Amino acid sequence: MFLLAMRSIRHRPGRFLATLLSAFLGAAIIMTFNSMHDTAAQDGVDPTSAETLSTAAGVVGGYGTLLVFFAVASTLTVNVRQRTAELELLRRSGATPGQLKRMVVGEAVVVALVGAALAIGPAMLGGRALLEVFQDSGQVAGSVDPSFGPVALLTGIDITLLASAGAAFLAVRRATRGQERPGGARKFLAYGALLAGAASASSTFVFSGTDAALMAPPAYGAILLSVGFALMAPRLLEAVLDRLPLDGASGWLAVRNLRERAGHLAGILMSLILFTAVATATLTMQAVESDAVAASGLTKSIDAKNLETLNVTVVGIIVVFVCVMLVNSLYAATSYRAREFGQQRLAGATPGQVLGTVGTETLILTVTGVLFGTVAALAGIVPFTVVRTDGVLPGEVCAIGVAVIAVAASVTLGTALATARRMLRTPAVGAVAVAS
Amino acid sequence: MVRAGSRRTHDKGPAAEALRLVKVSKTYGARDSAVTALDGVTLGLGRGTFTAVMGPSGSGKTTLLHCAAGLDRPDSGIVCVDGTELTGGGEADLTKFRRGRIGFVFQQYNLLETLTVAQNTVLPLKLAGQRVDRGRAKEVLTSVGLGDRLGHRPGQLSGGQRQRVAIARALVTEPRVIFADEPTGALDTRSAREVLLLLQRAVRVHGRTVVMVTHDPVAASYADSVLFLADGRLAGRMDAPTANAVAERLAHLGDNVTTGV
Repeated sequence: MFLLAMRSIRHRPGRFLATLLSAFLGAAIIMTFNSMHDTAAQDGVDPTSAETLSTAAGVVGGYGTLLVFFAVASTLTVNVRQRTAELELLRRSGATPGQLKRMVVGEAVVVALVGAALAIGPAMLGGRALLEVFQDSGQVAGSVDPSFGPVALLTGIDITLLASAGAAFLAVRRATRGQERPGGARKFLAYGALLAGAASASSTFVFSGTDAALMAPPAYGAILLSVGFALMAPRLLEAVLDRLPLDGASGWLAVRNLRERAGHLAGILMSLILFTAVATATLTMQAVESDAVAASGLTKSIDAKNLETLNVTVVGIIVVFVCVMLVNSLYAATSYRAREFGQQRLAGATPGQVLGTVGTETLILTVTGVLFGTVAALAGIVPFTVVRTDGVLPGEVCAIGVAVIAVAASVTLGTALATARRMLRTPAVGAVAVAS
Repeated sequence: MVRAGSRRTHDKGPAAEALRLVKVSKTYGARDSAVTALDGVTLGLGRGTFTAVMGPSGSGKTTLLHCAAGLDRPDSGIVCVDGTELTGGGEADLTKFRRGRIGFVFQQYNLLETLTVAQNTVLPLKLAGQRVDRGRAKEVLTSVGLGDRLGHRPGQLSGGQRQRVAIARALVTEPRVIFADEPTGALDTRSAREVLLLLQRAVRVHGRTVVMVTHDPVAASYADSVLFLADGRLAGRMDAPTANAVAERLAHLGDNVTTGV
């Protein structure tokens, strides 16, 4: 089975590119931040510098791990789901579920190892760059040398490997059992996340304006609310669709497709809502905080500076990761539809009409995701601004919101349309024959 | 260039020949491993005829259908549908050319899973930008015996019912020629019979022209005539076919290959 796994990787490298990319990025980020532990552990590093470095490694390392798991798991799930037919064929040819599991998990492990190995070089450079950022802002003494040691290597490789193998195992188990997850738990989680988010955001008012931890409750509130919205994504989408009067063949098809596939599109919508909410909320609150500090005429404390660097870095990581997830899942979901596109074309749709349908679907998805993401972000931003300053809505929110929405829209529309265009290169008859 | 979407040529009155192929050739693959799927096929099919195309696997019957229907481009030769030559241009031009001229029925139905039976049926009209009145879908679906299944999804229907929806979809645009690729290949005997009778009625009652690729002598016996294909060339023709005669002819197809019709 392992030989079969190796062969399937060698002959279809394109299929593993998405998984490889997320493993590579994940490992690179984990190694970059964990190399701060290595740097801090060197002899002759003063205690203040060591503490700054360890905090950065600890906080962002924790975030990174979670995100890597999320990204790799989502790519692998999509990857395995697309191979249902191939796995079914192997099963009918006599492969036991155990053999299938070993094959899929084996592939995932190989891809994760390759991704982690490729990430070592970039992570060394990244660690160097991060240390310079800390040194430039005076949080770490200039005499500290960068180091890339066992902690960075071990955590990077272990976590990527664990995430890949674990996600692959769960995905293949779900695929070979072929059962859907019950909806009750999802509903419960959604309401739970929404309630917790609302509570966290309102608890902001308990804090005083100068409290160091003021940013935490609204930030967690926004993230929890967006998780809640994301879990309810299919129903939100249906609610939006009910209010859309769309004419023309492409729009007509788009609305009907979205209505039928609302459940499948939840993953994409989830990434979109999380991306919009987290990016808008964190960046805006950081801007408000910086303005307030500047207005008070005080110089920033080292802690505040540290927090700012961290916030910006964390947002950067989240943005990159959610973008990868978005591109991955959109690419996979769209390329999976080659047969459906072929059927549309045989029924008389021109390539332009197929692209029009995909474009309309993606636009509706983007608007829905951005809408609820912004709501979640505002739920965090408003309490924070009220407590920290005298205003209600900071001026920065418009510029930041527009920038975030522009990135979200160009990433989703760009990926979906480029993928659909590629799918249209196959003749319609060939595209229809592939899966039959 | 194809006179794309021009309904005028279509409405000027049908040509005497619904389909004409002149020396159509098609080769697949690179130079050293090239396979000649069609080797200079010339044929003409009159309006209101039901023709079956038969031949062993690899004889080029599917390629013939794809080339004649504008789904694939021949390397050389001329294809005329309803008196209009099918020439180059992009996929969009070919698609517009097919609208109102050509309908399809496939072995795998190719209905869209996200649409209801009624929506699938009127999809070609929607895509062509025509107004669709509510009665149209019901009328066409009733004619194939599915007037009570308008709101069902393809997944809720049997194979035979799905193929009848596909036939309704092919009929809805009132095309000159309907191409059917193994339409009964995935069906049981009874469903197959219903489908073949519907195709026959499209010819007899509505004056459509049907070209059907099949490997089943029984299916071929519903046609007015059978064209035999071997090694990419026409290898004979049989009018008023019976299942036994077709089977007999197929069995000896390799023995002496005659060209021409």
